[in-house]
Amino acid sequence: MGKLKKITTLMAICLICLGLTGCYDAIEIDEEVYTLAIGVDKGVNNVIRVTFQYATYKEDSGGGMGGGDEESGEVSGTIVSTVEAASLLEAINIMNSAVNRQVSLMHAKMLVLSEDFAREGVGKYIEPLTRFREVRELMRIVVCKGKAQDFIKENKALIGSNPSKALELMFEQSKNSGYFPDVIFADFYVDLLTPYGQPVAAYAGVNDFKQLDEGSENEEPPLKTEADIEPGDIPRTGGAKREIFGLVVFDGDRMVGTLSQYETRFFLMGIGEFQRGFFTFIDENEPELIYVIEVQLGRKPSISARMENEVPVIGLKLKLDIDIISIQSRRHYENLDNIDEFESKLQAYFEQGIKDTIKKTQEEYNADIFHFGKKVAGNFKTIQELEDYNWIGHYQEAEINVSVSVDARRSGFIYGATPIRSTESKKGVEADQ
Amino acid sequence: MIKEGHFGFMEAFSVMAIVLVTKIFYGSPMALIKYLGTAAWYGTLISLVGALVFFTLLYLLMKRFPQEDLFQIFETVTGKIIGKALILTFGVFLIYKAGINLREFTAVLKVYSMPFTPPSMIMLPFLIVVAVMAYVGLEGIVRVAHIFFYLVFGALVLIILLAIPSYDFNYLQPILGYGLGKTVQTGLIRVAAYDEIVLLAIIIRSLQGLQVFKKIGYLTLILGGLTFSVCLICILAAFQYTVGGEHLSGMYQLSRAIYFTRFFQRIESIFLFVWVISSVITVSFIFYISLNAYSRVFNISNHRPLILPFIFLTFMAAFIPNNFAEIMEIHLRVLREFSSVIFIFIPVMVLGLALLRGKKGVETSGKA
Amino acid sequence: MKQTQNQNQDQDKKQEKKKISLLQKAIGFITYKKTKNPPSFTLPESNEESGQGQDNAEQQDGSAKSDKETDKQSSDSKSRRKATKKPLSPSALKSSKSESDEVKQDFDSNKKILEQQFHLPVNKDLIIRDFSIGNKQPGFIAYLDGMADKVIINDYILRPLFNETNNEMSKNQRLGPLEDIILTNDTKSLKKVSTTVTEILKGNTALYIDGLDHFITCESIGYDKRGIEPPKTEGIVKGPQEGFSENLRTNISLIRRIVRNKDLITEFHEIGEKSNTTCAIVYLDGVVNPAVVKEVQRRLKNVKTDFLVSSGMLEQLIEDNPYSIVPTILSTERPDRTASHLIEGRAVIIVDGSPFSMIVPVSMHALMHSPEDAALKWQYATSLRFIRFVAVLAAAMLPALYIALTTFHREMIPTDLLIAIAKAKENVPFPTLVEILLMELGFELIREAGLRVPGIIGNTLGIIGALILGEAAVSANIVSPILIIIVAVTGLSSFAIPNYNLAFGVRITRFYFIGAGTLLGFYGISLALVAYVLMLVNLKSFGVPFISIISPRTKGSKDIIIKWPIWMQESRPDYLNSPDRRRQPKITRQWAEQDPNDA
Repeated sequence: MGKLKKITTLMAICLICLGLTGCYDAIEIDEEVYTLAIGVDKGVNNVIRVTFQYATYKEDSGGGMGGGDEESGEVSGTIVSTVEAASLLEAINIMNSAVNRQVSLMHAKMLVLSEDFAREGVGKYIEPLTRFREVRELMRIVVCKGKAQDFIKENKALIGSNPSKALELMFEQSKNSGYFPDVIFADFYVDLLTPYGQPVAAYAGVNDFKQLDEGSENEEPPLKTEADIEPGDIPRTGGAKREIFGLVVFDGDRMVGTLSQYETRFFLMGIGEFQRGFFTFIDENEPELIYVIEVQLGRKPSISARMENEVPVIGLKLKLDIDIISIQSRRHYENLDNIDEFESKLQAYFEQGIKDTIKKTQEEYNADIFHFGKKVAGNFKTIQELEDYNWIGHYQEAEINVSVSVDARRSGFIYGATPIRSTESKKGVEADQ
Repeated sequence: MIKEGHFGFMEAFSVMAIVLVTKIFYGSPMALIKYLGTAAWYGTLISLVGALVFFTLLYLLMKRFPQEDLFQIFETVTGKIIGKALILTFGVFLIYKAGINLREFTAVLKVYSMPFTPPSMIMLPFLIVVAVMAYVGLEGIVRVAHIFFYLVFGALVLIILLAIPSYDFNYLQPILGYGLGKTVQTGLIRVAAYDEIVLLAIIIRSLQGLQVFKKIGYLTLILGGLTFSVCLICILAAFQYTVGGEHLSGMYQLSRAIYFTRFFQRIESIFLFVWVISSVITVSFIFYISLNAYSRVFNISNHRPLILPFIFLTFMAAFIPNNFAEIMEIHLRVLREFSSVIFIFIPVMVLGLALLRGKKGVETSGKA
Repeated sequence: MKQTQNQNQDQDKKQEKKKISLLQKAIGFITYKKTKNPPSFTLPESNEESGQGQDNAEQQDGSAKSDKETDKQSSDSKSRRKATKKPLSPSALKSSKSESDEVKQDFDSNKKILEQQFHLPVNKDLIIRDFSIGNKQPGFIAYLDGMADKVIINDYILRPLFNETNNEMSKNQRLGPLEDIILTNDTKSLKKVSTTVTEILKGNTALYIDGLDHFITCESIGYDKRGIEPPKTEGIVKGPQEGFSENLRTNISLIRRIVRNKDLITEFHEIGEKSNTTCAIVYLDGVVNPAVVKEVQRRLKNVKTDFLVSSGMLEQLIEDNPYSIVPTILSTERPDRTASHLIEGRAVIIVDGSPFSMIVPVSMHALMHSPEDAALKWQYATSLRFIRFVAVLAAAMLPALYIALTTFHREMIPTDLLIAIAKAKENVPFPTLVEILLMELGFELIREAGLRVPGIIGNTLGIIGALILGEAAVSANIVSPILIIIVAVTGLSSFAIPNYNLAFGVRITRFYFIGAGTLLGFYGISLALVAYVLMLVNLKSFGVPFISIISPRTKGSKDIIIKWPIWMQESRPDYLNSPDRRRQPKITRQWAEQDPNDA
């Protein structure tokens, strides 16, 4: 009996003690709002202006039309609100008094920095995000042309009613086109501090849908296969107005320039993160026609680096796999007779493209966004030597050789296309065969 | 003196492995990467070699006295008074170690997971579990350790595997870190990171003989060393030496970096289980040994009445550091660098003394 | 005056004493008192190689133990005698007047003793039929009405008795022939009243003829009992479909029908001073570790209680650790399962009147096996077992994990799901904990009510109740829909646990984890888990560590979580330390080695 009593007393004491620990950290799900996107602009009355986009908990709110009234900032199942403050995290506290729920950053998916802001240097503002426990290291980082506030306002979920899914899938598209890099915050932060290279971020903008010129009807449209377009200038209409296109080059924490969407593709190939993408070429044999190929990396690029007379010599070897998607002329480039020539043409193109891109980063920006430094580091024995040499300062002196090997592996469903027969165009094709 | 029961190879192996490896979950990788940069991963292997040498010496000592455990050897070799003083030193240092380990755990847990819970409220339930573990005794602790051994190491392997996409092993260059001299020097100082192996000599009588002792010792040291090394390689490859030297808990950050699909990300909280469990086992084990030391010194036949006061002492020890800086820069350095003075120097000295005086234990033929 | 003063002083003193004793009590809580714990039973190792030496050692061990046992018993009986002086119960009578236990040599006193023992004439159950045989020699038979089969008494006891004695008319030839005369299959001559009484209580008939110094009891047990029916709680698809019934003999015969072995031993013990329930220890000699049998005997012998009606009660009286939340004894109502455990080297205890057998010693995984496993191909059985282990984890931890996730570790939930949960919860006024507790309560209510509601309605009530309650609770905004899923999955999981007792334990464990998860999230759950596992590793079931599969590590059996093919299961579980470790030769499927054309 005594023993039982003792045990019960002890258990009661334990329970009370445990009760005292009382859920200091327990917060119910619906007591918080979850920020999906954070935008940082230069402030007017204070240092920074922070824009939050957070999901609302209304059933079927607004849905597809993304309407909502202007003043409350409702955007398709989310609310966008902006606040000016001295620091990013204090802005959250200020927001709390207006949102009437705890604003949480633990599900933030995207950090948008405005271009002005990025050019001045972002390090000091990014710092709290790495220390603060809530912030998701996996959020994507984007530099946007114009104001981040406007960009986030246009961040609508139009396909479904799920804003977070829309955001995540938006960045997944980097895999499908290679037009912009998918940079997560953790990597960006590591790249800020690294002696091996320089960081990049995706470049974004807001499209006002005015790029789609009406033009005059009788004029023949020009064929442009490699038009460099800045984000916000894509000739399109419909859908959400925000778009991501190209990338931003940083030197340290300061933005120094941008790469266009094609240069971004070459950059992604260079670092081995290019997944797939269509390339359009003008057919040399019939300049008014084109052919389209889909490019994949055959294997991870191999980089070698050695020092020759204090000058780093870097070799970048790439292997590309190519699927022919379309040949408008219906010529048989995939045939054994033609394929070598076809491949060498492509090889020259890609080699040149990558070389040009590297040259641009070397000469214009002097920013090793390719992280060749990690191989160069192999030539140094100690960290002191590496840091004394200061690779990222010497990037522009490096001699970089690029070699690309191209394999046209497949030709889609068709092999040896039969020409389109009409009364006129018989002869030409036959002669070619 | 105290009935400790007997247990098998796997139990002792598990508890020693967990005690050795728990450090990897806290600031240990950070400190190593800060000191050694890209050389951290083999710096710890140098420590391992040092630890293996030490363990060989320890084994020689134990071999001379096959029927006795380390504390008894202290008394036999140095005499009752000095021997007891040495045991007491061990006991006091172990309590300190348990306290600081607890505090380190609390500090990191508070930063990463429970920012608003007061530290004492984190420690209290922890200490209750430690007290219960100590109440049940060594046999209970090692069995729990054995069960969770698979979980702890499974989770470690899982984290390392899942984070594969973020590795780039080029970041292990330059290969020599801050210079070979510094690496070797720091590596040798940090032999202390492996010196918990000495605890195995204290529980030797619960093991099945000297050969098992030897096997467990070498295996746990090698397992611990490899685990450290692999984890450091992964942290370096994922975060480079710059950021790796910044993170409070490198392994935790590694688990934060896991991103497989939209559905499978930020699983670091699962990692919390492993982290807590291995810490509880470590602190309980150290705590129990210190209880043991105290009861040996004062010939107390039952350790149970000592639990509450010792829990209180641990609690006090945990509150010695004022802030995180003190934990990292004073106490953890004491534990991971200078603890060798007690854990390594004393046994080696005792071995020397035993050799000098030519003392030997009773040889018995019937060893199990 | 003086007297009153004295009284006052006395009272003061008493109060002081009380105060002191209170203080002492208070101090007693915090001071350490050495409690004498008798050493717990651990199973000695048996070694196949040194079988001979081992046997000796065990015998020594056993003799030492039996010494202790007798010591204890004597002290026990002493204390009992002291305690039971005042109320003069029949049992007390039995034990206190040992001289009257002997059967007298005359008719009247013996009859009187029986009448006295059974409280005749108040008690109407005992029938004593007087008769005289031969030379007007008086005699009587006594039996309990309803317990004995009257046809047997009439045709095989009374009829031959009258016939034979009338023919022979010899006076002196009573002793030998009497047992020859009676035609029942079992007769005993008993010199003690107490044992005779027990026999009568069982339903046997006691016969006494003047001049004898003993009773003769004839087996005439014949009361109404339930037939053999399919087991109620352990239904399976593939395998035998008969379950134990309430009759001990029937139950043992059911086992014997499966294990046809001369070494199958059944020992009887009587437990319950007032109910005198028969308990049987069944074991396979040469396979079971003798120490286990001795331990079971010791425990059964030293259970002192007045009443025992089911195996569940006995289970509570003989289990190693009554404070443990998981059962350490496996009870089953299937003879086939019982038999398979017997053959693995365990002992079985069967209580008369209870359709369950208790199997000891068991370890955790035996509780997780379903009787069906043995009948299924190993691939099927293994996958079923994985499901069961997942079920145990889910039943114990799922609600706790949900609470911890949603209140502490929200970053782990995929954002889409998180927002969906928040949306669903927006109009629910309660915190998650209250939601969970409400739903758990509702679920347990449905389960309990489903059991109590008679007949077929019970089952339907469960399903409909759960559906309607869940649906209504969601639409009334009392709980969020995702929570219904959590609670339903938890409930389903607890039904998937094959052992009824274990399922109970897990259901209670669930609340323990819910508490831990609510207070400290994953941190709390992991601490609670460590404490729980600590409890598990310290459990013993008749000297065998309860989770002996993992710790302490024993040689792997091939039938723990993964059920290896039957022909691979060559040895008995290591932790049982059976003297006969090998079950089957290395090559079981010997036909597969043969050339089919040779045969």
